[in-house]
Amino acid sequence: MKLYEHEALESIYRKFKIAAPKFVFATEPNDKVREFIEKEPAVVIKSMVLVGKRGKAGAVKVVSDKAQAIEVFKDLATREVYGEKSIGALVEEKLDIKKEFYLSVTYSTKDRAPAIIFSEHGGMDVEEINPSLIHTHVVTDVRSVYPYQIRKFLVGIGFSDPELLRPLSEMIVNVYRAFWETEARLLEINPLVVAQVGDKQKLVAADAVVLLDDDASISPAVRYGARGGMGRPLTQREQDAILIDQGDHRGKAGSYVELDGDVALMTFGGGGSTVTAETAIEAGLRIANLTDIGGNPPAEKMYKIARIILSKPGLKGVLVCGGTASNTRIDVTLGEGLAKALDDMKAEGVLNPDLVWAVRRSGPEYVKGLKMLHECFVRNGIKGEIYDSQLPITEAPLRLRELMVKLIGYKPEEVV
Amino acid sequence: MKGPVYLNDKTGVVVIGATGREASQVIRESEALFPGIVKAGVTPGKGGSTELPVPVFDTLFQAVSDPKVGALINTALIYVPPVSVLDAVMECLDSGIKVIYIITEHVPIRDSEIIYQEKVRRGAVIVGGTSLGCFVPSVGRIGAIGGKDPSIAFRAGGIVVISKSGGLTVTTAEMFKRRGWGTYCALAIGGDIISNTTYADVLMELKDDPNVKGVVMLGEPGGSYEEQAAELIQSGVFKKPVAAFISGRFQERMPEGVAFGHAGAIVERGMGKASDKISRLEAAGKNHPVKVAFYYHELVSAIESLGVPRDFEDSTAAHVKPLYSTVG
Repeated sequence: MKLYEHEALESIYRKFKIAAPKFVFATEPNDKVREFIEKEPAVVIKSMVLVGKRGKAGAVKVVSDKAQAIEVFKDLATREVYGEKSIGALVEEKLDIKKEFYLSVTYSTKDRAPAIIFSEHGGMDVEEINPSLIHTHVVTDVRSVYPYQIRKFLVGIGFSDPELLRPLSEMIVNVYRAFWETEARLLEINPLVVAQVGDKQKLVAADAVVLLDDDASISPAVRYGARGGMGRPLTQREQDAILIDQGDHRGKAGSYVELDGDVALMTFGGGGSTVTAETAIEAGLRIANLTDIGGNPPAEKMYKIARIILSKPGLKGVLVCGGTASNTRIDVTLGEGLAKALDDMKAEGVLNPDLVWAVRRSGPEYVKGLKMLHECFVRNGIKGEIYDSQLPITEAPLRLRELMVKLIGYKPEEVV
Repeated sequence: MKGPVYLNDKTGVVVIGATGREASQVIRESEALFPGIVKAGVTPGKGGSTELPVPVFDTLFQAVSDPKVGALINTALIYVPPVSVLDAVMECLDSGIKVIYIITEHVPIRDSEIIYQEKVRRGAVIVGGTSLGCFVPSVGRIGAIGGKDPSIAFRAGGIVVISKSGGLTVTTAEMFKRRGWGTYCALAIGGDIISNTTYADVLMELKDDPNVKGVVMLGEPGGSYEEQAAELIQSGVFKKPVAAFISGRFQERMPEGVAFGHAGAIVERGMGKASDKISRLEAAGKNHPVKVAFYYHELVSAIESLGVPRDFEDSTAAHVKPLYSTVG
């Protein structure tokens, strides 16, 4: 989960003694904001969004004319940045910047260890820095990380300012500790600046990108509140789906991401769902959602997610597809849960009779489960084909496409 | 020794967190399919319980010092909740167990890192987190892989299946079985960011094993483990045929940060994209027997075209008919 910059400043930088500019965060230009602007000779105002590259989008502004500051604040606190709405704005003191470095800590899967990444040439997007100027220190023993190791690393890469060796090495260790102890996946400071304060030079973290491990021992969603990953608010159906798994750990049926298409997916298993969705897209089907049902959910959960998936307007086809389950009961999920959803929807007059279905599934009690689903198709006049695992899993979307073209003249997307 | 280091005819399993719902089911199924492969279970507070077909102990130390089963235990299967996994792994390592499977999903990354560094120091083999286990048809099974009736998917043969996804491990073995190739070893390595056993680790382990006729590798976006396998093949260390499929190309057309499927399968910051993995493997395929399937089901024709011999006859009709149809 990604944190907003002000959350990182308040809850992480302070605790781990990572020097940051003086700041105030607010959703509207309140007294605190006005006092702050009044006191500072110049300020930096930033839109609070999770998306990166704010500067390029004009969502970070330096303001020295106090008369304008409140207007700029109002604009940045409410504007959309790459389609994401600001939740407020951060106002910071403007620093007298002498140098800009790049610093981050993340996991390197190449080394299977935390990696400290540093460059003397920060301030621009990390992708734009010449790779030969970016240096990595791999933490091969997480039990002992000391500033002397960082100084050795800095000297090894020819770091240009010996006077900064001690404070920089100590700052980097603080940042590493913050990364480690908050169970982050990424902690990025770009730029880490050398600022002139009176007659002294000081290292200040002028930015904070923090991505916490969703599986951390204390869930970040509990601490900071859940947030969607799509850069947009959750839809009603997505919110309803989340509720399915709450307070009931028997299996998982509540993952549902809504998309623009007209082919509903009821897919099973992490890997199976991914390959099925992928093939559907490659085959030119416009998928209406992603889902990932698994872990042997009870019939009620399957009933609920099926109704949510089928309630999306404008659907033309449905793909029910999974591999050979090790654990998930096919009679319970398809024969009971899905079939009851279809029976009820038919009885309520909300089942679209023109939908075209393709089903492909195997696993515990699949013979019984597929037969029950077939009987349900017959009694409700549902059109479709049902396969077991004789059909390779990813041929199912291709069969659905064939059927939809034949029965309803579906025009698949041209995929390049 | 018959079978690879992950699972062989010397394997004796202890299940940590044995009396939980999933673990107790796995113990019962294992006992029915491969009697004697599970030697004991451990659940603190349930020592002496007779609810399982194997003895249950309060601590692992008691299990490995038990005069009856202790000496037979060399492999651990961990089913404890995510925050207890690190503790369970340390208990295993300190009890001298050198092969460990972590079945638990959602292990905190920081704990995974501590586990990995400890594994390297102790020279142990750890598979997971988020592993579904291992199947070696000629020897036995570890974990729930293949469910109650694994004969649907598994028959002895020469293919090695390595997959981040547990479900796809079985689905893939079954797809090949229907077309005439059996499995030597199917290993669900899990999709965690810090993975204790990677594709490259498995390839290194099996490179000189004469039972291996071909490898099927199933990858996902995120991390660089697929790229590492490509590098290893490119360097000439692993010489046998490899058919690969990398899922998740479609995620590249979606907004960054859309997590779908496994925790590790997240496209973020342009790292570990499916397309990068595919091009690295394709590059290795220029000078080595490697094929990347475009559609998942084309893995079969890839293995066929790489010249991996069938273990038995193809049992699938050229055009599969539906089991049921309500369409005219």
